[in-house]
Amino acid sequence: MINFQYLRTTSVKSAIALLLKDKNSKFIAGGTNLIDLMKRGVSAPEKLIDINHVPLKQIELVGNNIVIGALASNTAVAENALIKDKLPLLAMALNAGASAQLRNVATVGGNMMQRTRCGYFYDTEMPCNKRQPGSGCGAVGGFNRMHAIFGTSDKCIAVHPSDMCIALVALDAVVVLANSKGERKISFKDFHRLAGDTPQLDNNLKADEMIIRLEIPVNNLAKNSHYLKVRDRASYAFALVSVAAGMEISNNKITDIRLAMGGVAHKPWRLTASENFLKGKKATIENFEQAAKLAMADAKGYGENNFKLQMAPNTIIEALNVAKSKA
Amino acid sequence: MNNQILKDENDRVDGVYKVTGKAKYFAEYELPGLTYGVLVTSTITKGKILSLDTKAAEKAPGVISVLSHLNKPSAPAYEQEGGPAMKIFYTDKIFFNGQPIAIVVANTFERATYAASLVKATYAKEEFNTDFEKAVNDTESKKLQGQPDYKRGVENAYKTAEVVVEQKYHLPIETHNPMELHGIIADWHPNNQVTVYAKTQGVKATQGTIANVFKIPIENIQVKSEFVGGGFGMALRTWPLEIATVMASKHIGKPVKIMITRMQMFTMVGNRPAAIQTIGLGANKDGTLTGITHRAFGETSVYENFTEGVVNMAKFMYQCDNVNTQYTVVPVDLGVPIWMRGPGEATGAFALESAIDEMAHALNMDPLEFRIKNDPERDQQRNKPFSDKNIKEAYRVGSQKIGWSERKNKPGSLVDGQLKTGYGVSIGVFNANRGRASVKGTLKADGSLILQSATSDIGPGTGTGMTLIASKLLGIPVNKIKFELGDSSLPPAPSQGGSATLSTVGSAVNDVCVSLKSTIAELAANSNMDATSNFIDVLKKNNLPSIEVTKQSQAGKERDDYSMYSFSIHFVKVKVHSLTGVVKVDKIVSVGDSGTIVSPKTARSQMVGGAVGGVGMALTEESILDHRYGRYINNNFADYHVPVNADIPEIEVHFINKPDPYINPMGAKGMGEIALIGFSAAVANAVFNATGKRIRTLPITPDKILATS
Amino acid sequence: MQSSDKKTNQSDSRRDFLKKSSLITAIALTPSVAVKAAENQADERFAELFEKIPLNLTVNNKACKTSIEPRVTLLDYLREELHLTGTKKGCDHGQCGACTVHVNGERVNSCLSLAVMNEGKKITTIEGLSNGDELHAMQAAFIKHDGFQCGYCTPGQIMSAVACVNEGHTNSRGEISEYMSGNICRCGAYPNIVDAIVEVSKGGTEA
Repeated sequence: MINFQYLRTTSVKSAIALLLKDKNSKFIAGGTNLIDLMKRGVSAPEKLIDINHVPLKQIELVGNNIVIGALASNTAVAENALIKDKLPLLAMALNAGASAQLRNVATVGGNMMQRTRCGYFYDTEMPCNKRQPGSGCGAVGGFNRMHAIFGTSDKCIAVHPSDMCIALVALDAVVVLANSKGERKISFKDFHRLAGDTPQLDNNLKADEMIIRLEIPVNNLAKNSHYLKVRDRASYAFALVSVAAGMEISNNKITDIRLAMGGVAHKPWRLTASENFLKGKKATIENFEQAAKLAMADAKGYGENNFKLQMAPNTIIEALNVAKSKA
Repeated sequence: MNNQILKDENDRVDGVYKVTGKAKYFAEYELPGLTYGVLVTSTITKGKILSLDTKAAEKAPGVISVLSHLNKPSAPAYEQEGGPAMKIFYTDKIFFNGQPIAIVVANTFERATYAASLVKATYAKEEFNTDFEKAVNDTESKKLQGQPDYKRGVENAYKTAEVVVEQKYHLPIETHNPMELHGIIADWHPNNQVTVYAKTQGVKATQGTIANVFKIPIENIQVKSEFVGGGFGMALRTWPLEIATVMASKHIGKPVKIMITRMQMFTMVGNRPAAIQTIGLGANKDGTLTGITHRAFGETSVYENFTEGVVNMAKFMYQCDNVNTQYTVVPVDLGVPIWMRGPGEATGAFALESAIDEMAHALNMDPLEFRIKNDPERDQQRNKPFSDKNIKEAYRVGSQKIGWSERKNKPGSLVDGQLKTGYGVSIGVFNANRGRASVKGTLKADGSLILQSATSDIGPGTGTGMTLIASKLLGIPVNKIKFELGDSSLPPAPSQGGSATLSTVGSAVNDVCVSLKSTIAELAANSNMDATSNFIDVLKKNNLPSIEVTKQSQAGKERDDYSMYSFSIHFVKVKVHSLTGVVKVDKIVSVGDSGTIVSPKTARSQMVGGAVGGVGMALTEESILDHRYGRYINNNFADYHVPVNADIPEIEVHFINKPDPYINPMGAKGMGEIALIGFSAAVANAVFNATGKRIRTLPITPDKILATS
Repeated sequence: MQSSDKKTNQSDSRRDFLKKSSLITAIALTPSVAVKAAENQADERFAELFEKIPLNLTVNNKACKTSIEPRVTLLDYLREELHLTGTKKGCDHGQCGACTVHVNGERVNSCLSLAVMNEGKKITTIEGLSNGDELHAMQAAFIKHDGFQCGYCTPGQIMSAVACVNEGHTNSRGEISEYMSGNICRCGAYPNIVDAIVEVSKGGTEA
């Protein structure tokens, strides 16, 4: 690791000003992903701007929105009474990720910026268009058991690694970004990108912007929510497939439904067609199966990950079943 | 047992050191002027180094030296013709991807790490193959006999039996991955005196290797290794990177510390070799085994051969007149493997014990009943009686504890919603080894006893076991006994491996104690004291501050008359989720039949640990390569899945705890290997019982459950 | 986010850095004497001074003041500079938990934390857990239940276990297992570790 320059700042304004000063600089918050990447030589910023002291740790109800500061730790969010009460799906997803130690320092903003866990991305001696555009994709035709089945491009089939983001996309979160001129809002589903021809870009955050907070509209999904993560070991592992499911059921009918999947695409994968199908229908196993089938319409396997074509719909069905069964 | 530990059981003697952070592992010795070494490794799999540009690294801040084949740091044995193919820094040949090609030494770890990233190599690449399955299937590839073929009775008799099972089983590469990263501190003093702080399972072996490579008298070298953060076999040899570190210290005249990365743990310090095995079993319809054939291919390296006991178990574990085995090793362009816990026997047991279960199913017999029916009275391979074997009792105890009576012989019978429950059993067996060791005992008038031997403790509780042996024999309280190990200057003992330490070193401790006892009795008699006098009084009366004795102990001719093994029976209950394919181990019962249990608490922990390792082998562990590049793709703890706490249910351990009358004075046999051997098959058999799906390729990941119909 | 991060030669970046030094407008972390020296005579010796920044933190109730390269992790600082080697390096990438320490009372992987990010914070390591020779209840419970074999992951397990109890994640064996899954034990002492935590969380010393 090069001996980078380290700066500390205490305000959004100065953080952005420092960022603009040197194009090879990065913000550091929890650092749990960035330091890992720097140790592997995947990332080599010359300047780190420590933003941990910027006051962006709030978790509060503002009008009809739950507002979460970008620097709130994953633990702070998962353990927060308001979140547990109103957005249990988010708490469940957070607790399904990483370990207690990592969640203690990892922040909401950092979690959103987390880079893929693809082995080719991490090994600087292997081809990877995300790390080094134009070098090729090692995973296509290589080890792709963990890789994407939706929205892939021949340039990159890496998956987005976060659990939290799967819940957030399901919960219609809005991301608030700031630059030196002011703030802008972007819907969570539009924050992350598909790989396309520019796999080096994970998201639509601009070079002069900083994630400030999330705004999540209050909903009635709390009772019948479930985050189901299928992985190779019981904890502390990335998802093979995960499903965030939340339903509002009244008079035995599904009046609101949110479904999103992780471990299957370059971004948190919202299952809009399945939601549309289930809306207004009864919460039955037959309908869940049909919804799962609809979710898989455009799925494509790359060999070693073909099992996801079966595991994904199965997991959707199971997640819906568990969510429905919660008393 | 519910993990309750009886109050009268003794705690680990080094427990306080380990829970307070005071236990010193190799990297934790403070030496004046300590420098840090970081390796540069090859980025190609096979070929030659054409150029190595070390200029930038040498100029980087804090860098003291960069060593490679370009400057051949002095190692007299390497300067001669012949010897090993892999002479570090004396060859420009690349045998595997990630091979160390240079070491950068700097005054801080960070600086050495950064400077190492500045070293640039160019290569002449050659065609290579890291794909073991491909090498096995390629008729042109090199194949070597790993062990003489074995035949008893008719070859391939299984083929003509009334009921035939013939199946192929695949094991991937597994990596030991002890928690402590590998490394060494080498401190080469003037006059060719060397002190090394090593992570080793054998201080004497490390001492010998350094003496051989550097051609200095063995007594010039002191190897210290008091605490070892796990080994599981990977620290049974001195690896090239350790030699490189000694070279570096000799070259710069300062102590050099190296601690390799977790990624490097996958390439340059061994692995459990991949294996492909075919088992043929033949049986009469009444369940009598009539033929066993075990053919195995094991992975080895191109530059150094490695073999292990993959097909041993088939030769004696079941009563059968017709048995033949064949073991072939196939080189690939990877680092040389090394024994990993249970070693080849664990590999073989997965295949054999899966096949036994398959045969029981084919016969429509309870697999437990089938095993008991074919349990041998004598060792047919060696034509000798077993020194001690209580398998039937172990089956009985274990089957009760797991609730075997709940099991249905028809797979897929126990279903609760999406969860399917199944039960599996397997047996593990390992040679009850005993080597030669020396122990020095010093009995002091202050009431204490010091025991010393150059053995190691990689975790099983060697010091605790030895202390308990001595305490029992001499009636000295445990807290008055100190067992010193992990130092090559102590009386010699073999490396800690093959489940032999307690038997080997414990016997010498026994002999020392017996000798001390008789000396005290003599002294008492000579000074007109009662024969039962306390040794403190006897020593005081004789004006002796202490007495000491050194004893060497080894096995006698009883090994010619008896076949000596440790046995384990593993029972596993699993729940398999039919939609997600996730296998959850719900309950484990392991029964050890390994003679007297000297140290119940640590023995139990060893069995628990073996079961946890077995869960990993069965369900999660696989070192995955991209054969296009010859590089590992999951070479880290996030992607190579060692089981975590949440994977492990409560584990019940039971011991038969009957002394083996012939093995050694304690009647105790080793346990480290049998804790793991066979376990993976018990899981696979339980998965079959739950789902009707027979997975013959480890690990049993959710995708395999979903894929198999 | 940069699309690809170029690796920079250290000496180049040093020169760069020196050039820019007087422009630093953030909180001044560089000793002024070093800045002056660097401006006047940018040689290696001064550059080295310049590359280190001051750090103040409290480790096991002792104030620690040092000057340190920003790239040094809290783990390496504890082990190599303070010689508090109870905290272990098992993976150096936040994937095993052997390096777990408490930062302001919360468990953290010290390998993924830069030492300089801990300015002003209170660090507790395994060495600071016991009260002199009197073991912390968790340490005693680990011995009693044999929650280890080789002992290498043990300090991290114990620091994590103490935090697990403080957090209140001890309502069942299953919950303990889940919240202790960030600490890998290759020797496989997991059930014994859970036993130790169950005992301590119940506040008793009886098994």
